[in-house]
Amino acid sequence: MSELTISRRGLLAGSALLLASTALPAIGFAQTPKKGGRLIVAADSEPRNLNPAIVASNGVFFISSKIVETLAEASFDGKDGLQPRLALSWEGAADGLSVTFKLRDGVKWHDGKPFTSADVAFSALQIWKPLQNLGRTVFKDLAAVDTPDDLTAVFKFAKPTPFQLIRNALPALSSVVPKHLYEVGKIEDNPANNAPVGTGPFKFAEYKAGQYYRLTRNDAYWGKDEPYLDEIVYQVLPDRTSAAAALEAEEIQLAAFSAVPLADLDRISKVPGLKVITKGYEGLTYQLVVEINHRRKELADLKVRQAIAHAIDKDFVVKTIFLGYAATATGPVPKNDPQFYTADVPTYSFDVAKANALLDEAGYKRADDGKRFALKLLPAPYFNETKQFGDYLRQALAAIGIDAQIVNNDSAAHIRAVYTDHAFDLAVGPPVFRGDPAISTTILVQSGIPDGVPFSNQGGYKNAELDALIAKASETLDTATRTELYKDFQKKVAADLPLINVAEWSFISVARDTVGNIANNPRWAVSNWADTYLES
Amino acid sequence: MSRLCHFFRTPEAIAGASILALLVVVALAAPLLFSGDSQAIAGPALLPPFQDWSLPLGTDRLGRDVLAELFHGARTSLAVGLAAAAAALLIGSIIGTLAGFAGGLVDEVLMRITDAFQTVPSFLLALAFVSIVGPSLGVVVAAIALGAWTGPARVARAEVLSIRERDYVAGARVLGMHPLEIAFREVLPNVLPSVLALSSVIVAAAILTEAALSFLGLGDPNRVTWGGMIAEGRTVLRTAPFLSVVPGIALVLTVLGVYLAGEGVVESAAARRSLS
Amino acid sequence: MTRALRLLRRRLVGSVFVLLIVIIGSFLLLEAAPGDAVDAYIVSTGGDAGMIELLRHRWGLDQSELTRLANYLWALLHLDLGQSVTFSRAIRDVILERLPTTLILMGSATALSFGLGSTLGVYAGARPGSFRDRFLSIGSLALYAVPGFWLGLVLIVIFAVDLRWLPVGGIETIASGKTGLARAADIATHLVLPVSALGFIYLALYLRMMRAGMAEAWRQDFVLAARARGLRQRRIVLAHVARNALLPLVTMLGLQSAQMLGGSVVIESVFAVPGLGRLAQEAVAGRDTPLLLGIILVSAVVVVVINLLVDLAYAVLDPRVGASEGSA
Repeated sequence: MSELTISRRGLLAGSALLLASTALPAIGFAQTPKKGGRLIVAADSEPRNLNPAIVASNGVFFISSKIVETLAEASFDGKDGLQPRLALSWEGAADGLSVTFKLRDGVKWHDGKPFTSADVAFSALQIWKPLQNLGRTVFKDLAAVDTPDDLTAVFKFAKPTPFQLIRNALPALSSVVPKHLYEVGKIEDNPANNAPVGTGPFKFAEYKAGQYYRLTRNDAYWGKDEPYLDEIVYQVLPDRTSAAAALEAEEIQLAAFSAVPLADLDRISKVPGLKVITKGYEGLTYQLVVEINHRRKELADLKVRQAIAHAIDKDFVVKTIFLGYAATATGPVPKNDPQFYTADVPTYSFDVAKANALLDEAGYKRADDGKRFALKLLPAPYFNETKQFGDYLRQALAAIGIDAQIVNNDSAAHIRAVYTDHAFDLAVGPPVFRGDPAISTTILVQSGIPDGVPFSNQGGYKNAELDALIAKASETLDTATRTELYKDFQKKVAADLPLINVAEWSFISVARDTVGNIANNPRWAVSNWADTYLES
Repeated sequence: MSRLCHFFRTPEAIAGASILALLVVVALAAPLLFSGDSQAIAGPALLPPFQDWSLPLGTDRLGRDVLAELFHGARTSLAVGLAAAAAALLIGSIIGTLAGFAGGLVDEVLMRITDAFQTVPSFLLALAFVSIVGPSLGVVVAAIALGAWTGPARVARAEVLSIRERDYVAGARVLGMHPLEIAFREVLPNVLPSVLALSSVIVAAAILTEAALSFLGLGDPNRVTWGGMIAEGRTVLRTAPFLSVVPGIALVLTVLGVYLAGEGVVESAAARRSLS
Repeated sequence: MTRALRLLRRRLVGSVFVLLIVIIGSFLLLEAAPGDAVDAYIVSTGGDAGMIELLRHRWGLDQSELTRLANYLWALLHLDLGQSVTFSRAIRDVILERLPTTLILMGSATALSFGLGSTLGVYAGARPGSFRDRFLSIGSLALYAVPGFWLGLVLIVIFAVDLRWLPVGGIETIASGKTGLARAADIATHLVLPVSALGFIYLALYLRMMRAGMAEAWRQDFVLAARARGLRQRRIVLAHVARNALLPLVTMLGLQSAQMLGGSVVIESVFAVPGLGRLAQEAVAGRDTPLLLGIILVSAVVVVVINLLVDLAYAVLDPRVGASEGSA
């Protein structure tokens, strides 16, 4: 789970079933939630900086979204796929130069001070825009935040900024932190980064490095009767196999972000008292992508890229590597996105004969040993599945005469090799779709990105037409026109294959059946859990 | 001939030798029995053993033939073990001989370096080294050797100290041989037997270290090793235990074989010495 | 005790050089690594070029290697281990927090493998070549040949999941509020499985060494003499044979201390024990050079101290040491 950020995905409940739900139990019964109890959850990594306003990433949200709230959260059935949190409403001006937020009344920080628009202004201008990993892009043109009264914040942009983009960015990028604690001293060194103070349903209680994080109930929370739980404890379990054992031994009650390996789910779903839940991650879609270094002359040839696309059996990948908990991909926007996705793109069927023919046509004939040329393949080490796909891809390429040597690196070395040193031919990466292509998808193909920027186009791909399209979409205010431009973007990417999208997946939770109100929004694991409860 | 007789005196030595012989046969037969790519996808994923006779030991997470992987794994595991032990013994005996023979400052410096290496946990060193250089079979071998040469170095030095004043060394000096020539032509060959006695421990440790590195995700993904198979199989320990048990048994047998055979050699050497 | 003091002084002076070699060697090794702390950090966050530059500057990674090595050594001279970039805390505090856990784990595991190993070794060595001798040596070897992580996982499945006798992992019950003896008992329960996994691996070492030492001792003159004096078998085994075989084991104890720490990297990971081994792995993964240097340094100090104690114990136990000390 140590991965990346996601923005919300306005997904209507039931639409676009991304995940095959083999063992989906009934969730969300009309049951009266019980109060009290300690929920113990598995955590596989320990983020040091817990300030979600600075580090907008799932690893941080998993813990701190219960403490620090955003302006709005993703929702299955709310308008634009959002539900109010600290903001009650949001309105974009027609000229794209301002967005007005009306804020919730009577909200208090955990230290008792009142929450006001000044906190929103401070967070946006002093943190999201200059310091946040994603906010630096989305809020780059934010010039000022006016606060006509305590409950109104008006964002002013120097250049027209699409309201659709701001809206889509709210669930992940808009964590509000208290101005009165952050205005003194350097923001990066503030002690509240390690012991966050927010307005959320839970307060930060303690962190024991290597052991656990403990959150306690915020008795003064604004939500009626919420939260139900007295405590949430995140138990650090670094080894991937220990979460399943701890669940079975009833030492923990919940393992999110696929902490239980996919191959173990079938067995564990049969353990009495445990349930496997595939919902609640619709807004957190990861894409399995083959990154291509276009500096290699063979790979700069479109025919070769097409051949590789034809050599990959996407159904096998979904069925065997993801055990059905994924979907095949057609292009750079995942199928379950309700706003931008189009199926009307060139596709590449699994066809080894055609792939071989394409390579012959391109002039890369098989040598006497049956090999055409050799490649260096770098699978990202962050997920079991990316590594397994690397093993699979090596075999798939062998079938068309391409001899791929896998280079296995740890995370830091992989990031350096691919995104700074460009020491790869093919790489397997898991980029994240964050609800809007402008947040983190277009940079995967856009040219002119400096060396060293992770999860961006570092393959030396350059396509003036695509660059122009991306630039145009970023300043188009009209939602319908903007959406059309991104559909065109998907077609062009699928046709020219700057990278190859193979599959889309998200995560699975396993919980004891005493845990209630799980997976009731599309970013559930990284939402505030105010209504989650424990029976008995 | 008498050497062999001594060696085969104990049932342990016979058992060890038979295991090793079997292992060598398996390693040699692997490319003949399972030609082509041992990592090729051969059938449905996670097929249990003894279900399909074309895949007698079943398949792994991606549908690769476990028996083929086991046979090819024997080659790499043995290669890793032997190469690491050879490298460690070579470095160790050279440094130990130099230190013991030269004495003085050279001895002091070399032994402090040996101390330094012995002070750092060798697995930690291997872990850091492999994550830095990047995992490939050669690097794994180097990393293991890096942490294993200190033992041989100490033994070699101690042996040298005990034999450097002996007659034939003094004789060589009188003949005017170069000190380095004496060290490596006269002293080293006499040091080797006691250093070689360490080889079984190092081979076994090397195979296990490779497994532990694979567990932490630092194995060579282009080769099948038993350690890598166990590490990969552990995530499905409950669902498909055979995936880690089968290579696990192979590993235990090998380490036992290496150990027992090593012990047999040491004992037969001791027996010979006591006879002569 | 002047002999012991002389030994102590000699060892301390030597140790300073050893530690210096260790520090500089580790520093150079880590500097050669592809990717730095910022690369490791942005894996989980992403970020643009400006942010990356900002981080490199804040963490001092834009300075030259020599400058950083010099700064590190200068700070070390003032007993300052520096600041960890991944924890944004003083390294001394981070390490001190983890050290006791690892010392308890290593200590208990060493006690287990040494105690049980030497006892079984005596038992096996009392009758060399007997069935129990063979069974014990081969059985312990088989244990030695099992990868530690796999042994750990199997122990978890049997004793924590199926039988539910012991906890799956961790060092103590989370936020239990226990104090004093109750807490000690809680920690002890949590340590049973990791200590067993770690201890059983090294059991073979002591068992076989004890056994070999005893086999050797049986042939010695003083044992023959004892036999000739008509002493009872049991008395000969314990008072003469085992006692003489014990000394090399004590030396082994010192040599093994560094290896135990290496083994605990994997065991701590499997059992979620917050110790130094896991911290070291995190430091490597996070490219936290000063933290890893701190850990290596502290573990080296621990190893040096243990060896010193072993040497002193040896000097006291074995009167022969003084004479040959010069060549050690």
